[in-house]
Amino acid sequence: MNFNFLSPLYLLGILGIAAPVLIHLMARRQKKYQSFSAIFLLLQSKNRSIKQSKPNKRFLLFIRCLGIILLSLAIASPILSLGDSTNLSNDSSTAIVFILDDSYSMATQTNQNSYYNRAVKLLLGVIHSLSAKSTYSIVLASSPSRVLLSWTANPDKAKNILKSSLPTSRTTDIGNAIKKSLVLLEEVQQINKLIYILTDRDKNGWDETAFSSIKEITSNTFNIVDVSKVPREINKAAIKHTEIQQEFLNSSRVIKVKVITANLSQSKPINDLKVTLWINGKKQTERTLDIPSNSSIEKEFSISLQNNNSINGEARIENDSLLNDNIRFFSYQPDPTIKTLLVDGDPNTIEHQSETFYLERALNPFTSSLSNIQPTVSTLTEFSRHNLFDYSVIILCNINNLPLGYEQELEKFVLRGGAIFISLGNRVDAKFYNEKLGNILPVFLKSVYQVVTNNEPFRLLIKPSKHPVLKIFKKQILEEMKSAEFHSFYSVVARENTKFTTPIVFNNEFPAMIESNIGKGKVVLYASSIDRDWNNFPIQPTFLPWIQRWVKYSARGLDSLTHKDLLVGQPFNWKLFSTNNKAYIVTPEGKIIIPPSVDGEIIFKDTYTPGIYQLFRSTRVSNIKSKPFSPPRLPSNAEPAGAFTVNVDLTESSSIKITDEAINNLMPKANIIFSSDPQKSILESRNEGISLFRYCMMLAGAMLLLEGWLVRKE
Amino acid sequence: MKKKALELNLETLSRIASLNIRATKLVEGLLSGHHRSKHTGSSIEFADYKDYSPGDEIKHIDWKMLAKTDKHQIKQFEQSSNLKATILLDASGSMGYESPNLKNNMSKMDYARTLVASLSYLLLKQFDAVGISIFNKTLIRHVPPRSKPSHFKHILHELAVVSPNGITKLEDAIECMVERLPSRGIIILVSDFLTKETGIEKKLKLLVSRGLEVILFHVLDSDEVSFPFKGDVVFESLEDDSSIELDPEDIRETYQRSIQDLIEYYRSHCTKLGIDYKFLQTSTPLEQGLLYYLLQRKNLGKH
Repeated sequence: MNFNFLSPLYLLGILGIAAPVLIHLMARRQKKYQSFSAIFLLLQSKNRSIKQSKPNKRFLLFIRCLGIILLSLAIASPILSLGDSTNLSNDSSTAIVFILDDSYSMATQTNQNSYYNRAVKLLLGVIHSLSAKSTYSIVLASSPSRVLLSWTANPDKAKNILKSSLPTSRTTDIGNAIKKSLVLLEEVQQINKLIYILTDRDKNGWDETAFSSIKEITSNTFNIVDVSKVPREINKAAIKHTEIQQEFLNSSRVIKVKVITANLSQSKPINDLKVTLWINGKKQTERTLDIPSNSSIEKEFSISLQNNNSINGEARIENDSLLNDNIRFFSYQPDPTIKTLLVDGDPNTIEHQSETFYLERALNPFTSSLSNIQPTVSTLTEFSRHNLFDYSVIILCNINNLPLGYEQELEKFVLRGGAIFISLGNRVDAKFYNEKLGNILPVFLKSVYQVVTNNEPFRLLIKPSKHPVLKIFKKQILEEMKSAEFHSFYSVVARENTKFTTPIVFNNEFPAMIESNIGKGKVVLYASSIDRDWNNFPIQPTFLPWIQRWVKYSARGLDSLTHKDLLVGQPFNWKLFSTNNKAYIVTPEGKIIIPPSVDGEIIFKDTYTPGIYQLFRSTRVSNIKSKPFSPPRLPSNAEPAGAFTVNVDLTESSSIKITDEAINNLMPKANIIFSSDPQKSILESRNEGISLFRYCMMLAGAMLLLEGWLVRKE
Repeated sequence: MKKKALELNLETLSRIASLNIRATKLVEGLLSGHHRSKHTGSSIEFADYKDYSPGDEIKHIDWKMLAKTDKHQIKQFEQSSNLKATILLDASGSMGYESPNLKNNMSKMDYARTLVASLSYLLLKQFDAVGISIFNKTLIRHVPPRSKPSHFKHILHELAVVSPNGITKLEDAIECMVERLPSRGIIILVSDFLTKETGIEKKLKLLVSRGLEVILFHVLDSDEVSFPFKGDVVFESLEDDSSIELDPEDIRETYQRSIQDLIEYYRSHCTKLGIDYKFLQTSTPLEQGLLYYLLQRKNLGKH
């Protein structure tokens, strides 16, 4: 059995008993002596007197001294340790693994101090209270969890390593941190083994999957310290998502930035939240938002392009208790032209008989500088040689099939923002389209409708339309479009559970065009041929503006097609054109990294800092060898190759805490102690000490009451 | 030694003088307008002159007075009284109580002394014989009763020199005194009666049974009656009791009741025994005590 004090300095309060003792002694000197004649009567009276109950002054002094002693003991936080002690302050040798949550939610500010700083302070406090025979190790719990400090008995090592440390921008992964801790504990010989977890207990960090492998085996003692149990401001809001789109349809060069802002509070709405947009370090515009509780609001900002330079920007909201999620980075490289791939499904040596002849000329009548469309023609055979993501729009002209696996590639292309324009014709295999392209086509191809000889051809049913493509076409042009003659087209039937629109129909009400959104991209089906085989539209004057507008309408900037908006920790994949190319990555902190490439592909994994990562490529390998241990530099011939952004994973912004019960369910065999102060919890754990604070306070209070009652009686 | 004796004597003399003055003043004040004995008798003591009238004895003519005044005056002589008074004065330690707040009051012993002196003076003025006996646990001093006016000085001297000490043993003192007392007369007992003795009643009864007239003067200091003390006090005994420390506030009420019980005890027993009882507090003017005595004597005079 052990008796200890958490704050032994307060025991000095016992010296306070000097006060009542002095007062007692001083009062005694004031006694008077009086000769008296009838002492026997006094004795008699004393025995008879009702006031016998007057308390002895010495008894009162004893009560007062005892009260002061008990109060001092209580404030000194006495702990009575019973049984087999795992008290860290005694001579027993203990091995402790400290799991320190350094995820970005630990950056939450409270009273000008973050959870992380509080956790570090508590951790160092416990380390300094360890006995000389104990050893400790530190594991960081942000994803991926890692060992920060291996086994050591030197308390200063932790201090040196942690003193200027900061929380990361990563999410929490307590499960894997515990796994690493268990592995560490297997290496040591100490009998007493403990695991401390200093965390804000955000639920997202306690993934059941990670615990599944340790649920049944761990019977260790865990001390889970909740560092968020202090009065704090709330994390009000977060920028959830940003999306950039280049407008091609209008002649003005405009970039649209879509910002989605979330209110993280479950119950309180936010009013007048300022959202600002910054481009290349300059504030562009500001809006205020009213967001209901537990919901998100989307706001679109339009930025006019001055040139074709890349845009690096961020969307920001006002500061609250957690700053990491108040900013979201984006970058965009505007396209001067719309790169379009025309896949000719019916090529011909006679040029004008090729499927794409009229299309190509319509898209780029003289130079691409006029239409801003840069078409590239490819045969079906050549199709697989193209990187689909080099194009904004792919036009499949009368193809009968696709290279193996390209259905999925096309689907990927559309999902990431690409546009597919499908024109039909005599080479189309409806079965192929119906069976293989169901992931991108919302309709079945049913049958070819043909005009019976000498009958009136099919014509487009043109009405004034609000469709972005068609709305500019006014009376005369609309009449001209009506004159186009269609003698064949495919009839279509809607697939189940698909959404699409029919911007144009034939005069027999059959759809002439089907438009659907898939992912970020669009798919447009033109039910007739793009050449003159099934209609004479290509030779109509309205064909040129019509097809150009469709391409411009459906196209997104190339930059938006690349997977370049990453979350912290996600790897960035980059395919270089040539193995002779050397890649450079400039991190948000300005550090230049030369990532290794394998077969012309780079996988860059060090994306733990949120921000914009600039890409550079040099076409020639430099012959100059860099000096050893000197930081890499960008060669003079390095060209910008774009950028990618890394933002925080917003799952960490949720402030929902995991309950004690849930934690116990994750580790049912473990001995778990929950506290907000590890020092106190060390001695209050099961089979450990009992805090006598309450008992001492109660007794001190009882002494005070008794003293008061006795004095009042007097 | 001689010097000390002289100093003592001087102190004693001053006490005597002051006693004398106090007693005389008191008595004379009381007696103005009160009776003197009208009896003239055949004692050797000259009492007064009277004009000669035929039939008076010529041998009593004061020839010197004739020569001086040319008047025939007859000497009258005092009638010797049969009253013999003995005053018993308690001089035990308890009688030595002096209040810490004396103010204008006398100490208990001085009060008792003055009372005894005054009584003695009064008795002597009335041609009664008076003697005093001073006692504590036993008889300390005894002055037999005399009726000469010059006897007063002896009495004063004894009163002046007495210093209260020792324990009170009233029973023993009375026992001792009984043999010396005349068969007729007055016994005046002056005491505070602060004693644990329980047989005083019997002794008083004894005195009464001897045919003596007993008068009790129960003298207490005001403090002994009201017990006005405050604070933490250690009471030290003036006799042989051990000290006691207490807060007077706690027992004041009970003590006052006890002292009243004591007074009532003596009053009731004296009444039962036919003894005249008078309680005197030092805060009470002494004239009251003497007036009482005079009234008593007046009643006696009627017998």
